[in-house]
Amino acid sequence: MTESVDTRVDLGGIALRNPVLTASGTFGYGTEFAPFMDLAALGGFVAKSLTLEPRSGNPPPRIAETPSGMLNAISIENIGVEAFLNERLPELPGDVVVIASCFGTDPGNYAELAERLSESPRVAGIEINASCPHVKSGGIEFGQDPRLLGELVERVRGVTSKPLLVKLSPNVTRIDDMARVCEASGADGICLINAVQAMEVDVESRRPVLSNVLGGLSGPAIRPIALRMVWQAAQAVSIPICGVGGIFTPEDAVKFMLCGATAVQVGTANYLNPAVGREVAEGIAAYAARHGFPRVADLTGALRLPGAP
Amino acid sequence: MTNSNPPAPSRPLRVAAEVLENAVEGPGNHRLVLAIPGWPGAEPGQFVMLSPGGSSEAERTDPLLPRPMAVYRGHAAARGGRAEVEFLLKVTGRGTRLLADLAPGQSIRLVGPLGSAFAPVVPGKRAILVGGGTGIASLYELASRGAADAEVHVILGARSEGDLMGVDDFEALEVDCHITTEDGSRGRKGRVTDALAELLEAPGPPAELFACGPTPMMHACAKIAQEQRLECQVSLENNMACGFGVCLGCAVPVHSGGYSLVCRAGPVYPADQVVWEGLP
Ligand SMILES: Cc1cc2nc3c(=O)[nH]c(=O)nc-3n(C[C@H](O)[C@H](O)[C@H](O)COP(=O)(O)OP(=O)(O)OC[C@H]3O[C@@H](n4cnc5c(N)ncnc54)[C@H](O)[C@@H]3O)c2cc1C
Ligand SMILES: Cc1cc2nc3c(=O)[nH]c(=O)nc-3n(C[C@H](O)[C@H](O)[C@H](O)COP(=O)(O)O)c2cc1C
Ligand code: FES
Repeated sequence: MTESVDTRVDLGGIALRNPVLTASGTFGYGTEFAPFMDLAALGGFVAKSLTLEPRSGNPPPRIAETPSGMLNAISIENIGVEAFLNERLPELPGDVVVIASCFGTDPGNYAELAERLSESPRVAGIEINASCPHVKSGGIEFGQDPRLLGELVERVRGVTSKPLLVKLSPNVTRIDDMARVCEASGADGICLINAVQAMEVDVESRRPVLSNVLGGLSGPAIRPIALRMVWQAAQAVSIPICGVGGIFTPEDAVKFMLCGATAVQVGTANYLNPAVGREVAEGIAAYAARHGFPRVADLTGALRLPGAP
Repeated sequence: MTNSNPPAPSRPLRVAAEVLENAVEGPGNHRLVLAIPGWPGAEPGQFVMLSPGGSSEAERTDPLLPRPMAVYRGHAAARGGRAEVEFLLKVTGRGTRLLADLAPGQSIRLVGPLGSAFAPVVPGKRAILVGGGTGIASLYELASRGAADAEVHVILGARSEGDLMGVDDFEALEVDCHITTEDGSRGRKGRVTDALAELLEAPGPPAELFACGPTPMMHACAKIAQEQRLECQVSLENNMACGFGVCLGCAVPVHSGGYSLVCRAGPVYPADQVVWEGLP
C-alpha cells in the first residue's frame, strides 16, 4: 500500500523525493552517515553551516544533556566553503540532494558565500542560517531584527537564482513577522526552528555546564514550541515551510506537516540513530497510506481544527 | 588535527544487541555481556555508543543521548552470526544506572565500533599500561594482545577497592600487575603515578606508556613521559553526543592547532598532542 503513495514534495523549487531532510549541524557533510544508510533514501540533507574561511569552535565543554534534550555551543566550527565544494561535495553520490547552509557576520559575507555556492551544480538550494543562538556576532542578530533580516535576505536573493531558504530563530516575540519579512524579501521558503537559547548549571561546582555559558536547546524538549511556531508561520505566509525541532518519529514529522509544513528536518535524533531520517520518511508514507492520502504532500495543512469536520 | 594512530579498521554498524549477562562486579560496577549480530570486532581502545534502556523503550527520550563505552573484550562474529562482547561499566549517573539495570534477554541499541585504536605495543620495549577507574576497561585488549610480543606491565588504580574493575582478568594474563588504591583497601596505598615512577626507576628495556583514566591522571602520565622522553598514548573520555564525528561536541584542543574530535581522531592520542592545561 505504501508503494502507491506519492512521496514527492516541492520545497520552494527544490524537488525532493520525500519530505525528510536532515538538519544542518547534525548530519556533518553527509558522508559520515554512509555506513548507516543509503543517503538517497532521504529527501536530502542540509550540510553543516559554512563560512567563507574555515572556522574553529568554542572550547569544551560544548555539549550537555538536559531533560529530553541537549544543549550545544559549538559555534559554527566548519571546514570553510572551498573545502566543502572541492573535497566534500564530490564524495557524495550524484542522486543525493544537498542544501548548503550559509553563515556570516554581515550581509556582504553571506552574499559572497551564497554566490560561491551557487556556482556548484551539486548545490540544490541555499539555506541562510539567520539563527545560530550562541555565536558572538552574526546569525541570530539577523533572525531577531525584522529590518536586518529583510536586508540580509534581499542581499542574498540578489546573488543567487538557486532556491533560497531562510532558517529562523525561535528567540523572537512574533515569528509571523519574521516569516512575512522573508517572503517579502524574496525567500522561496523558510525553515524553523533553530535551537532555543538556553542555559544549565552544575550546582556542585556552581559553574555553567557550557564553556560558552549560553547554548542552544534541541531535541524532543523543544518540539511543541517548534510546532506552535510552524503553525503560526504557516498562517502568515504562502511560501513553503520546513518544520524543524525535536522530530524523532514519523508521527512527530506528520504533526509538523498537518500544521502547515511542506517538509521537515530531523536534527538531534541523528545522533542517537544515524538511520532515523530514512525511518521517518518511510513512516510518513505509511501514515499517508493508512489515512487514505494518495500523496504525502496532501498532509500539509490537513489539521482538523476544533469545530471543523 | 589528526594523529598518527591507525584509522578505525571496520565500518561501524547500528544494531540491536541482546543482553546475555549483566553481573554486579563490586559496588556500582557491572559486567555487561552483549550478543551483537555481525560484530566486525574492535581494536584495542575502540568504543561503542550504547543507548540507555532497552530498545523496546524506543520512545524513551530521557535520558536522551547514548553513552560511550569501551569495548572490554570480544572477538568478531562468525559470518552471519553474533559475537559475545563484554563491557565493564561503572554506575555514575542515570544513563549508566539504566544500562546496569538491563536484564538478560532484553535488547539494546548500539553504534560501533568507533574511534581510533592504540598503536600496538612495540616488541622489545617495556609496555606500561596505566588504568584509572573506568579507564581500566579500555586497556584489557591491549594488555592481552601485547603480552605475546613484549614485556607488559599493568598498573590499575582507583579510589577504593570497589572502584576497581576487571582486576582478576588482568591478573590471569601473562602480564605483571600492580594494583593501587588511594585508601589502601586493595594493593598498595597511593596513586597509579607512584607505582609508575617506581617501575620506571627499575632497570629494563626502554618503556612506552599507555594510559586511560581521569584527566588529571592522564595529564600526570603525560608529564612523566615528557620528562623522561618516553612515548605515551592516552585514551580520552570526553562527553559525547553522537560518537561518529557529526555533532562536534567532543572536541579537545590539540597542539597542531584548533580542536580534534575525540570520537573520530581519538579517543587515543599521543599524549604530547593534547593541550592539557584547562581541560575540564
Ligand atoms: C571513549 C570512552 C570510553 C568509555 N568507556 C567506559 C567504560 O568502559 N566503562 C565505563 O564505566 N565508563 C566509560 N566511559 C565513561 C562513560 O561514558 C560515562 O561514565 C557515562 O557516559 C556517564 O553517563 P551517566 O548517565 O551515568 O552519567 P551522567 O552524569 O548522568 O551523564 C550525563 C551526560 O554526560 C556524559 N558523560 C558524563 N560523564 C562522562 C564521561 N566520563 N565520559 C563521557 N561522557 C560522559 C554522558 O554521556 C551524558 O551525556 C567512557 C567514555 C568514553 C568517552
Ligand atoms: C550540535 C548541534 C549543532 C548545530 N549546528 C547548526 C548549524 O551549524 N547550523 C544550523 O542552521 N543549525 C544548527 N543546529 C540546529 C539544528 O539544525 C536544528 O535546527 C535544531 O537542533 C532543532 O532541531 P532538533 O531538535 O531536531 O535537533 C545545530 C544543532 C545541534 C544540536
Ligand atoms: S561525539 Fe559527536 S562529534 Fe564526537
